[in-house]
Amino acid sequence: MLETIIEILIKTAVIIGLPLGSLPIIIHVERRGAGFIQRRLGPNRVGPFGFFQPLADVAKFMFKEEVHPSHVKPFFYTAAPLIALVVAILPLACIPVFAPINFDGRQIFPEVFHSEMGIFFAFAMASLGSYGILLAGWASNNKFSMLGALRACAQMVSYELSLSTAVVAMIFLFGTNDIHQMVEWQSGYWFGFLPKWGVFLQPVAATLFLIGIFAESNRTPFDLPEGESELVAGYHLEYSSMKFALFFMAEYIHMMALSALFIILFFGGYNILPGMELLVNPFPELLPIMQLMSLFLKVAFMIWFFVWVRWTLPRFRYDQLMDLGWKRLLPLGLVNLIATVLFVYFRN
Amino acid sequence: MEFLPLIIFFIVANVIGIALLTISKILGIKKTTIRKNDIYESGVNPVGSATRQYDVKYYLTAILFLLFDVEIVFLLPWAMAYGESNNKGFMIGGFVFFMVILLFGYFFVINSKALKWDE
Repeated sequence: MLETIIEILIKTAVIIGLPLGSLPIIIHVERRGAGFIQRRLGPNRVGPFGFFQPLADVAKFMFKEEVHPSHVKPFFYTAAPLIALVVAILPLACIPVFAPINFDGRQIFPEVFHSEMGIFFAFAMASLGSYGILLAGWASNNKFSMLGALRACAQMVSYELSLSTAVVAMIFLFGTNDIHQMVEWQSGYWFGFLPKWGVFLQPVAATLFLIGIFAESNRTPFDLPEGESELVAGYHLEYSSMKFALFFMAEYIHMMALSALFIILFFGGYNILPGMELLVNPFPELLPIMQLMSLFLKVAFMIWFFVWVRWTLPRFRYDQLMDLGWKRLLPLGLVNLIATVLFVYFRN
Repeated sequence: MEFLPLIIFFIVANVIGIALLTISKILGIKKTTIRKNDIYESGVNPVGSATRQYDVKYYLTAILFLLFDVEIVFLLPWAMAYGESNNKGFMIGGFVFFMVILLFGYFFVINSKALKWDE
């Protein structure tokens, strides 16, 4: 019993600590990347290459005054950032970082909560993200916050539909809903060089899912809820100091969790990257570390992709956004699902 | 017992969030003024209240989302059960029937201009 609890606590510490610990690095990469793309320097004063800037920002957040405006609904105003952060962290409980290993005669699973239904739990928790945002906008009792929250929710639920159709198509194709089996399915190569990743079988579903991640995490080009020229700052307008920081952290963690799910479904999850066999074949005991590294590198590339898109594409207009979600992506997702099902049926 | 890891994970996530909120509450300076506690509308005096009527389209979007999300909820167990069923033809027939009805509904929604945002 005690060992079980210690094992759970260690896993929890790693699974929560890794994303939270890499947040300053991601924020630094985002700001330096912005500077790189726009041909300016970006933060470069605090520490080497400005590397301590995010840490300084965290310290600043802690020492800032926490303005608690008089017109807000107090309980929900405080609860909203907490809900946003917790539901952003929860999907991580089901994301495996390496294959189950046999240790001391029993199987050890890398994820905190091992279940056949893990992937559904992760998606359910990820879609709860709209509650924190809606609650924040409503409790702030401010027109701009409310509008930002309404927009955010309408957008998140609209894009969730096409994202879910992509998930159904992938689960149907894999014929399983166990994350480890899905990843196992994607191991190996086609024709000896092409990794057996889901993206090569289902490019349409992968595109739908990718667009869905951008809309779900309110990133540019879908950052309408925070359209600063019209809504000031959207749902976190009335929030200051650490409460604002919690929304900020929640957005990035949400992004990481959805990227990890994207990679599990379409980019082979923790399967080692092509070329790593050279190191793993002579030293099989390195396999879990290499798998962890592979997942980490893939997620890192996704994060860089988010930054890249953010500073490349302009923002949509709201009616364009809703039209894209409902009139383009949703029918595309349904047609893709039907095509996948018929393809699998007639192939056998 | 099966959900013990999840409960511990949930508690740890909450503890982190509450700890962060408490830190800034303790360390932050406290100097409140009436102006600071007022509604923030980019510095000008606030106009009207936040509990006004908003566009009904947000409500329609939410209702339609519910409709199509239930469809996904029905399709997920179907996709999982497909591999284990003996009568694949029946499964496919049911799926096609379901999708045809769904697409009829979808075109009805589009036709009724419930999702027309640009006017």
